Amino acid sequence: MIRFPYVREALTQVFSKPSTEKYPFVKKEAPENYRGRIKFHPDRCINCGMCIRVCSPGAIVRTVEKQEDGDLVTMEFHMDSCTFCQMCADFCTKNSIELTKDYEMVASDPKDLIESGTFLKKKPVPKKPISDELPPAPKVDDPEM
Amino acid sequence: MDILMKALYLLIFPGLLYCSVAGLLLAGIDRKVVARMQKRIGPPLLQPAYDFFKLLGKETIVPAAAARRTFLAAPVIGLVSLVVTAVLVPVFGFSAFGGVADVVVILYLLTIPAVAIIMGGAASGSPYAGVGISREMVTMMAYELPLVIVLLAVGKAAGDGGVTFSLSKIVEYQQANGPLITHWTMWPAALAMLLVIPAEIGSHPFDVAEAETEICEGALVEYSGAPLALFKLSSAIKLYIMTALFSCLFLSGWGTGIVAVDALILVAVCAVIMLICVSLVRAVCARLKVEILFRFYWRVVAVLAAISLILAWLVG
Amino acid sequence: MFKKLIDNSTAKSPWIYHINAGSCNGCDIELVAVLTPRYDAERFGFKLAGTPRHADIVVVSGPVTSQSKERLIRTLEQVPEPRVIVSLGSCPRSCNVFKGSYSVEGPLDKFCHVDISVAGCAPKPEAIVLGLAQAAQLLKQKREEAAQK
Repeated sequence: MIRFPYVREALTQVFSKPSTEKYPFVKKEAPENYRGRIKFHPDRCINCGMCIRVCSPGAIVRTVEKQEDGDLVTMEFHMDSCTFCQMCADFCTKNSIELTKDYEMVASDPKDLIESGTFLKKKPVPKKPISDELPPAPKVDDPEM
Repeated sequence: MDILMKALYLLIFPGLLYCSVAGLLLAGIDRKVVARMQKRIGPPLLQPAYDFFKLLGKETIVPAAAARRTFLAAPVIGLVSLVVTAVLVPVFGFSAFGGVADVVVILYLLTIPAVAIIMGGAASGSPYAGVGISREMVTMMAYELPLVIVLLAVGKAAGDGGVTFSLSKIVEYQQANGPLITHWTMWPAALAMLLVIPAEIGSHPFDVAEAETEICEGALVEYSGAPLALFKLSSAIKLYIMTALFSCLFLSGWGTGIVAVDALILVAVCAVIMLICVSLVRAVCARLKVEILFRFYWRVVAVLAAISLILAWLVG
Repeated sequence: MFKKLIDNSTAKSPWIYHINAGSCNGCDIELVAVLTPRYDAERFGFKLAGTPRHADIVVVSGPVTSQSKERLIRTLEQVPEPRVIVSLGSCPRSCNVFKGSYSVEGPLDKFCHVDISVAGCAPKPEAIVLGLAQAAQLLKQKREEAAQK
């Protein structure tokens, strides 16, 4: 036979407030430590390449342009390939990658889903050259004298 | 002049325009109330109207394996028969064609939309549609029996001596003696009719013919665009017709003499009946299997209607 | 007069059909979560259609695997115009971690034109609602363009 459970709940819920979150009109904040869109701080990056090694889908692309006083390094983080595992941020030695709480990643143009940053890594300053003269010999007490 | 009046009845009131507006409004109320019962904000009230107009703007694709003329003609046949039925159901004492048709004609006319869906499904050339139409046929057999017994019971109670099949006589009897639902012998018949209504219009838990997830919407699987819009409109109009028939058989007899006010009151009464028998049941029940549906209708609902018939013979 | 009514209704009643082209099911679970009482997408008129012939918006999830490639192409051809294709998650865009596998055919771009992508792995239901709302507006634009021809 047919049983009719939940009839009382159905009748009382008609008059109570619905439990729907009115999303596009009321924006909701993501919880703490939510892994959302990547924010890259190019001024802190040192071009070590750890994030590229660790990224599981291979979503980070680095292009290097040689210039006179160093390398112009561009790091591109492809959000449409990212798994949001946060390994890049964990392994970055200088904390230049940060996963924000932004969860609205909707785009009709694929270029909107690429986060990129460019910085200039200067060539290291060369050390002073050693002079041609030999240093004076150290004074040694002759044990035979 | 006479032709003009008949055309007016057929197309405006209580014909195509009135019953489609009433049907779409009732369908919208049903969806909204079901959503509120499930603790969510539902679609706006006019959502079925938006669905209908959107479907008119889509492309119509006829599959290569389908029988083209039957495929495109089936929804039109269903809609036309429903509009004719709507014209014949009286609106609180105003009967459009002078009571020329009786309950038996309405019974026959009500089988045509279901047959139109079966025709459309058979013409689709898809195995999903084949399964859908066989289930629709079983459902039709299941609910026709209790419906006939309910109509016989009401006819006996409202006729003096014999069984009357004329709707205007039933309305006149209720005008003289109060609505039929106040007679205690008619309560099982009213309950049986309330249980037949969800099966006739294809709503949970009796919508096994149109099971969405199981058989990809059953008989309507290959339809798209304007024919699908006509099918959706026919199911909305069927909602109006069944509830209006219930109110004519059991709740009629009162009402102001003014036709316009009567029409609005009828839509309100239809909405209340629909909330009880369609929305509440749809919000809390899951879908029944076809064998269990058949058994339920022939064992429980038909027996209820038969009890009412016997009581009407013995007492009335 | 009817044309404007039809155009406006197209944005208010988009029906969704979901195709799983080899996905891990994470994005699919988030998609059906969008239809639950908490994030109710039905208030905008969204409804899951049972067959691709009834659908306006086709939501594809998963990198396209070799086994599902033919079926995906056949199903996409059955959707009547005007239609919008939404790619759900990062798998249809770039195959995510499954890139280069022996059974993954490639991103969805190779088989059809993708209109809107919702990125995330898996995207939050609110992001899916935003993506679907944008898809409904795009549908209205496509319908207006088709009507003018």
